[in-house]
Amino acid sequence: MIPIRYNIRSLAVRKTTTLATALGIALVVFVVASSLMLVTGIKKTMGTTGHKDIALVMRKGSDAELGSVVEEPSIGIILAAPGVSKTAKPAGVGEIVVVAAMEKIGAEGVTNVQMRGVTDDVLQFRPEVRIVDGRPAQPGTDEVIVGKQIRGRFKGVELGQSFDVKKNRPAKVVGIFEAGGSSYESEVWVDRETLRSAFGREGIVSSVRVKLESPASFDAFQLGIEADKRMGLMAQREVTYYEKQSEGTSILVAAIGTLIAFFVSVGAMIGAMITMYAAVANRQREIGTLRALGFSRRSILGSFLLESMTLALVGGLVGTVAAMGMGFVRFSMMNFASWSEIVFSFDPTPGILGFALVFAGGMGLVGGFFPALRAARVSPVAAMRA
Amino acid sequence: MTLPGLAFRNLRRNLFRVVLTVIGVAVAILAFVSLRTLVWAWTSGGEWAAKDRVVTRHKVTFVMTLPLRYYEEVKQAPHVKLATFANWFGGKDPNHDKEFFSTLAVESKTYFDVYPEMSVPAEQLAKWQENRKGAIVGDVLAKKLGWKLGDRVVIQSGIYAGDWQFDIDGIYTATAKSVDRSTLVFHWKYLNESLPDRAKDQVGWIVSRVDASGHAADTGVAIDKIFDEKDTQTLSQDERSFNTSFLAAFSAILKAIDVISVVILLIMLLILGNTIAMGVRERTNEYGVLRAIGFLPRHIALFILFEAMFLGMLGGALGLAMAYPFVNLGMGRWLEENMGSFFPYFHVEPSIAAMGFALAVILAGAAALLPANQAARLKVVDALRRVA
Repeated sequence: MIPIRYNIRSLAVRKTTTLATALGIALVVFVVASSLMLVTGIKKTMGTTGHKDIALVMRKGSDAELGSVVEEPSIGIILAAPGVSKTAKPAGVGEIVVVAAMEKIGAEGVTNVQMRGVTDDVLQFRPEVRIVDGRPAQPGTDEVIVGKQIRGRFKGVELGQSFDVKKNRPAKVVGIFEAGGSSYESEVWVDRETLRSAFGREGIVSSVRVKLESPASFDAFQLGIEADKRMGLMAQREVTYYEKQSEGTSILVAAIGTLIAFFVSVGAMIGAMITMYAAVANRQREIGTLRALGFSRRSILGSFLLESMTLALVGGLVGTVAAMGMGFVRFSMMNFASWSEIVFSFDPTPGILGFALVFAGGMGLVGGFFPALRAARVSPVAAMRA
Repeated sequence: MTLPGLAFRNLRRNLFRVVLTVIGVAVAILAFVSLRTLVWAWTSGGEWAAKDRVVTRHKVTFVMTLPLRYYEEVKQAPHVKLATFANWFGGKDPNHDKEFFSTLAVESKTYFDVYPEMSVPAEQLAKWQENRKGAIVGDVLAKKLGWKLGDRVVIQSGIYAGDWQFDIDGIYTATAKSVDRSTLVFHWKYLNESLPDRAKDQVGWIVSRVDASGHAADTGVAIDKIFDEKDTQTLSQDERSFNTSFLAAFSAILKAIDVISVVILLIMLLILGNTIAMGVRERTNEYGVLRAIGFLPRHIALFILFEAMFLGMLGGALGLAMAYPFVNLGMGRWLEENMGSFFPYFHVEPSIAAMGFALAVILAGAAALLPANQAARLKVVDALRRVA
């Protein structure tokens, strides 16, 4: 038997203290949930970018498209390899990837933005990409389309505006595209030939992507590509490539997040402990009365644990709701692997929100344990005399 | 017995609660100091940059190369005393492929003159100059990867295909705090001769030493002007601006850490405020007695304030005592060894320590303001009536 109503109403009596402690826990839960959401957001952005049935071919040993070079004649050989879809049109694309330093709006300095030199049929190859504003770029011109995450974040990167790809080479933004939340949304897509001549990449591309007959055809494809040692190429699943790309960044965020989470949760637990100790000390007489009435030590222990967990859960609820609000915030960061800026969002999955509440309850449990133990040890006679 | 003295002795009344509060404040200060040191170490690379060096790179992006002939022209620019160049090799050790470190192909004769703070013993430098496959590595890197003088090592690159062999001819140490001690430096000629014609004779960036640091900005402008009308434009910045320009990419993380630092201070404020309010509530009766025997309201307020500030001081001191070993010996050492390129120097700065301590004391005082004010205002009669 646990005197639940007694404990809950006790919280309401000492409003200021309850609120202060609950707020502390709310802050902690907010910080923990937000960093988890960011890590998930990073994985999601990079995860949705890769398709299971697309293979990426780069020069052997390259970590990123940026550093890879594939000779143009190889494109035909790659497209003829085993496992490549015979029905998809186009079966593959060869693209040039560069980064350009662009001025940020609202922050000091420049950051690198990834530019992709694409072929005319890029929208057919990537059916998940849709133009949401404006129109597709005309092939062979200086017109570009821009991913929706970077629109308005850099000088000249907005519909109808233009920016310099290189000196005296202006590019006009004619369309904004959406790509299912993937990292393409942080890129600028330029006509391949235009990019080629601007950056002197005659006769080469950075990477080749092909559509496979099915995800299972990858092994045959990889064997076919890597067997020819002269070409010096390597093939990987697009999903694998993007997973590796996000590793460095998500590890950094997870490390910083864990460090911070550890400290703030210890702080909040100490706060909860102080509150509960004071509560127990001040209610000696009440506890004594309850014991005299017949509540067992175990019930008292349980009841105070409940009180502290309720306190923590209230704070946890506030913190979780606040963290859901972060879902509207866009977070841009340098992705070490591609040396360019990617915009991530905070992903409020039900799993994280659930974990946040459980975490809050846990803090209440750990913080309230020793005080509850002390309450359970109260001797009824001594307490009523106090 | 003075008022502050009384306030201090009052702390002993509920020792248990005081200890918990002090620990709570200490943990908050520890976290705060660690985060501020992280931000400071990350961003202040610019503070130690040489004032007499100018870095010239491709205007569009640092990632693109400049033609070799640009080097000759930069050397001729006014006020340029000495110049060198380097290429980013993007290498890693296949035996430790998760370890990130810088690998640079440099202009052999001039690189270590432009960067005198990378200190190489003379005989090692001479040996390196004779050996086209030679490499000079930082002492921290050598220790981490288990390399010794005379070892032959294999490096693979994300940019240049194949296995590249180097002989460790020298190990450099740093004479300044800001130097990255985890870099591998080798001869640009060795890289260049192995490239196909299409990719030959390219340099990554050119570094010049100007004859007086006041001329750095003008020299940069003058260099850029030389190449303005050519096919490839350059951007020349003094070393400090060059280092800080990378930070824009991380501005979001740094801002987030700033926000979290404030959150930590808020949590600390809540813990302190809670404890102080509890203490005041319990002793209302006593304050009434003090007032009855002649103490003025402001004495009561000061009494509470002093007690709070002592709490803050104790918590701050404990927090700093924990922070020094944690940052310098624990986190700092790990970061310097594993992310030495980003954090060559990670120690608690006196100014950050002072700020942490001051904040603990000030916030404790701030937390006590409201309870102190309310207690001081209370009528003596009401105060005496309060039992608990």
